[in-house]
Amino acid sequence: MTQSPSAPPVTPARPGISPADLAVAIGITLVGVLLLLGTLKIPFGINAVVGPRVFPLIVSIGTMALGGLLTLNALRGDRAEPGLEEDTDPDAPINHVNPAVIMVGFLIGSFLLPSLGFVIGTAVMYFSVAYAFSERRYGLMVGVALIVALITYVLFTRGLGLTLPPGILKGIL
Amino acid sequence: MDALTSLFAGFETALHPMNLLYALIGVTLGTLVGVLPGIGPALTVALLLPVTAKLPPVSAFIMFAGIYYGGMFGGSTTSILLNTPGESASIITALEGNKMARRGRAAAALATAAIGSFIAGTIGTMLLTFFAPAIANIAVQIPPSAKFAMIMLAFVTISATFGNSPLRGLLSLFFGLSIGLIGTDLQSGQARFTLGFPELLDGIDFVTVVIGLFAIGETLYVASRYRKTQDVIKLEGGATMKRDDWRRSWGPWLRGTALGFPFGALPAGGAEIPTFLSYTLEKRLSKHPEEFGKGAIEGVAGPEAANNASAAGVLVPLLTLGLPTSATAAILLAAFQQYGLQPGPLLFMTNGDLVWGLIASLYIGNVMLLLLNLPLAGVWARLLLIPRPYLYAGILVFSTVGVYSLNNSVFDLVLLAIFGVIGYGMRRFDFPVTPAIIGVVLGPTAESFFRTALQQSNGDFSIFVRQPLTAFILFIVLLALVVPAILRLRARRAQPPIPPHTDAIMFDKE
Repeated sequence: MTQSPSAPPVTPARPGISPADLAVAIGITLVGVLLLLGTLKIPFGINAVVGPRVFPLIVSIGTMALGGLLTLNALRGDRAEPGLEEDTDPDAPINHVNPAVIMVGFLIGSFLLPSLGFVIGTAVMYFSVAYAFSERRYGLMVGVALIVALITYVLFTRGLGLTLPPGILKGIL
Repeated sequence: MDALTSLFAGFETALHPMNLLYALIGVTLGTLVGVLPGIGPALTVALLLPVTAKLPPVSAFIMFAGIYYGGMFGGSTTSILLNTPGESASIITALEGNKMARRGRAAAALATAAIGSFIAGTIGTMLLTFFAPAIANIAVQIPPSAKFAMIMLAFVTISATFGNSPLRGLLSLFFGLSIGLIGTDLQSGQARFTLGFPELLDGIDFVTVVIGLFAIGETLYVASRYRKTQDVIKLEGGATMKRDDWRRSWGPWLRGTALGFPFGALPAGGAEIPTFLSYTLEKRLSKHPEEFGKGAIEGVAGPEAANNASAAGVLVPLLTLGLPTSATAAILLAAFQQYGLQPGPLLFMTNGDLVWGLIASLYIGNVMLLLLNLPLAGVWARLLLIPRPYLYAGILVFSTVGVYSLNNSVFDLVLLAIFGVIGYGMRRFDFPVTPAIIGVVLGPTAESFFRTALQQSNGDFSIFVRQPLTAFILFIVLLALVVPAILRLRARRAQPPIPPHTDAIMFDKE
């Protein structure tokens, strides 16, 4: 395999344990344990040669074992290299606020969607993503959010026959 | 000759004006999403699935196939003009093609990529035309135990053998398998892992998983380390190349095709390997090896052809065995299942019209793509200038429609958010997404073959070693797991400083 041009060229001689990597590995192992407990709650099937438990058993034990290996690796100083995407800058300082803004906006929009309607709900989501991506022209953002949401609504309900909640715009749309 | 007769019948279906329109919509959409960052053909097909419920299957699949091929064409435009590979198979194009573009040869780089993609796609489709029916004929006789073994082989090769970190690939696969278990077990009627939520009794729709992991996960991840300035190379006019470029390109195109197709057709883990192999080969054969790394046209022509030929190859196991070997193929498989069709050998007999219409449309789609991408390259290039805040916000809104329209329920949107956060974590901690998608889609099928095989043997597990074909495939599965691990261990011993275990680019949007 050729080295990717963007991968960091050197690894430290003796890397320390990365707490984040260790937490992820332990978390995965715990999920495996929970899966196993969940598997044991599945009732045995009747009239079946192979019951509904067998496959989940394999999957949960597999997850536990692989999670355990990952934990061992993390304890030996193994750490994950964050993925490289279009539009990402590997050297940029990591910002945890922006994803949180998107998530909060998404959830608020989701819960408003049935009552206030699809257009308002998704416009809230649109606004929050644009904000998280450092756009600050608020008037433009609100305008584009509403127009995109409206066009999407009309396209999908009129054009493709889906039913989406009109909400407060009922009667107008 | 049989294949030719069927193919002509297929062209009758594909040349129907309505289907031509869907092919055109498909290739245009495909190029569009291929060019746009943050969205790829896998995501697009998943988003369109609920919408196409009203289309006849032939038209829907002609459109999906157009999106699949179109995504490959569009992806190279982005790599050449933006220098950030969106999918692992484009790393080379991003390296060599972008260097060409920086030397003012963007038009030639785009042209050799597009024409190479066209040639590789067309030759690949021809090979598909003649191989697929032959394989389907043999595959009809495969017993359930061997089908289970084949799925295991696909699982292992996709997640462990060719990835940079087999462990992370396997964990991603097991995550997908776990999600696939949620819901009512169809054979016994027992609820599994529903945590008391009645909404989970039907299982989690894979559309939610795909959109969450790809679209939401990507949006969150890009937001966390956003590159505020995009370095897009300007392109004037269309993509063209000179006589000398043609002379240097045709060899790499053909060799790239020869490398790419078999890698796609064998369940051997996507397009990365053949593109790397093609690059190395061209560098060795070239009369100008010193140009490689500085913008050699052979380094764009070969890998791009390999990439597209492998895309055509992927359709062979998908159509003949029902085995997807890329994320987009997994979603196509799920689309077949939504129409109540099971891809596999029987599909050629029961739904010959559909299969041959689809294959014929691939030839037509390739021609359309060439026409769309050569003169209009400049138009597509402008898409890269869309301001990112508005682009990613739009992707999120479309994702919401795609998922909300499944059941009109907020519960699904909450699930979407959860998968989005997981998708973010997978990018941050270097877990490839494709194995998870394959696990979700193929897991239930694997379980069903596993149980059918055991029911036929009355619960005797030795069926998996006594049935010769099954035992043979399972032996290869074992080799595929063990051999690369041993090789890696030996390489590590020979070279004491531990190399970084990852190339960091594991997210194909095929």
